[in-house]
Amino acid sequence: MSDELRQLAKAISKVENLDFQALADAATLPLDSAAVHVIGVTGPPGGGKSTLCNQLIKELAVHHRVAALLVDPSSPFSGGAILGDRIRMQALVSNPNVYIRSLSNRGNVGGVASSLVSILRLLMHNGFQYIVIETVGAGQSEVKIASIADTTLVVSVPNLGDDIQAFKSGILEIADILIINKADLPGADSLYSALRESAQNPRLGWTPPLCQTVATEGLGISALLEEIHRHGHWLRQEGRLLEKRKRAAKFEVLELSRMLLQKHLDSVPAEVLARNLNRRGINLLQKLDKIYDELLNTFSEV
Amino acid sequence: MTPIRVLIAKPGLDGHDRGAKVVSRALRDAGMEVIYTGLRQSPEQIVLAAIQEDVDIVGLSCLSGAHNSLFPKVVEGLRAKGAEDIVVFGGGVIPDADIPGLLAAGIEAVFTPGTSLEEIVSWVRKRVQKNHE
Repeated sequence: MSDELRQLAKAISKVENLDFQALADAATLPLDSAAVHVIGVTGPPGGGKSTLCNQLIKELAVHHRVAALLVDPSSPFSGGAILGDRIRMQALVSNPNVYIRSLSNRGNVGGVASSLVSILRLLMHNGFQYIVIETVGAGQSEVKIASIADTTLVVSVPNLGDDIQAFKSGILEIADILIINKADLPGADSLYSALRESAQNPRLGWTPPLCQTVATEGLGISALLEEIHRHGHWLRQEGRLLEKRKRAAKFEVLELSRMLLQKHLDSVPAEVLARNLNRRGINLLQKLDKIYDELLNTFSEV
Repeated sequence: MTPIRVLIAKPGLDGHDRGAKVVSRALRDAGMEVIYTGLRQSPEQIVLAAIQEDVDIVGLSCLSGAHNSLFPKVVEGLRAKGAEDIVVFGGGVIPDADIPGLLAAGIEAVFTPGTSLEEIVSWVRKRVQKNHE
């Protein structure tokens, strides 16, 4: 068991480091298992995402194998990172049903790590039934998680702003389930009224429920789990889950392409790039378009 | 460039983690990915976290005086799980007289108060690079 876990942990590192062989191996593993439920948790920094994940994982792991992927931001200066989400999950470390992995976003905007879908393939292959992904502390536009997870939980907390914040586009719209955490704090009621409107808009036939939790006390967790299972059940009808996974697979191609481009861009000084764009802008853009076109011809061969 | 992954862990019962946090930050500023476990971890929990996180190296911080019993248990635990390639180093309030025993037990370096952050960062980097060769 321990050996298997070590191999999995090492395979994840290779995928993270964009090792071509590891990525290609991962790509052969299926992403379409309906026996797996991928749950994304996003929301502002300090909103209680890790504590909430801890509670959810604890419950799910009673009968199932659960993997947690905890994404934290990398430093824009050194590229290093402090990955501290585990601190909220200390009791889960020795649970044999739980695998916890901290990931740096390695400069990737959007709240997740680029190699996340490839990592999902590895975890599915290793028999995990639930995969919980905690994003970087997210503001308004970190919405990539919705392209990866089956069920996206958006955590909000009282007193972050007035009802105009709830009215804006972006992160609230990706919620399959909306959560007001720290619901024991003053201001929770007005947040509830503000979010109720967003929550009651059906999107593609699903009306996101609005749950209230106090994650530190474990309050509201069982009701939240019921909603998660209800959404999972809904997804498994009419091929919806398969559609989600197809979207995730496409997202994987997009992110890997972007990462490879980034890797090459990083090897050229910024001023050289800017100067060339400035001088030969139209030529460069046309050339780029042509390269992508040729690339996609290969990628989309039936 | 593959970042070095470090687990900084606090075995034992003391609640002082300023040192662990300062070292974590210095390693981050040197481009490393630092996973911090939080306080009061058992050696078993530290071993499991190191394996799950696939770290290159584990830094143990202890200010309670229990280093002689706790640090070697982490090294033994890693060996028992076939993860002896994960390097272990330590730091904290550790009497000079205890250091040879810790080194003999497989803790590869012990940094006591007064050590510069540069010294720790450069030791970690060199030690991990040596492992990758």
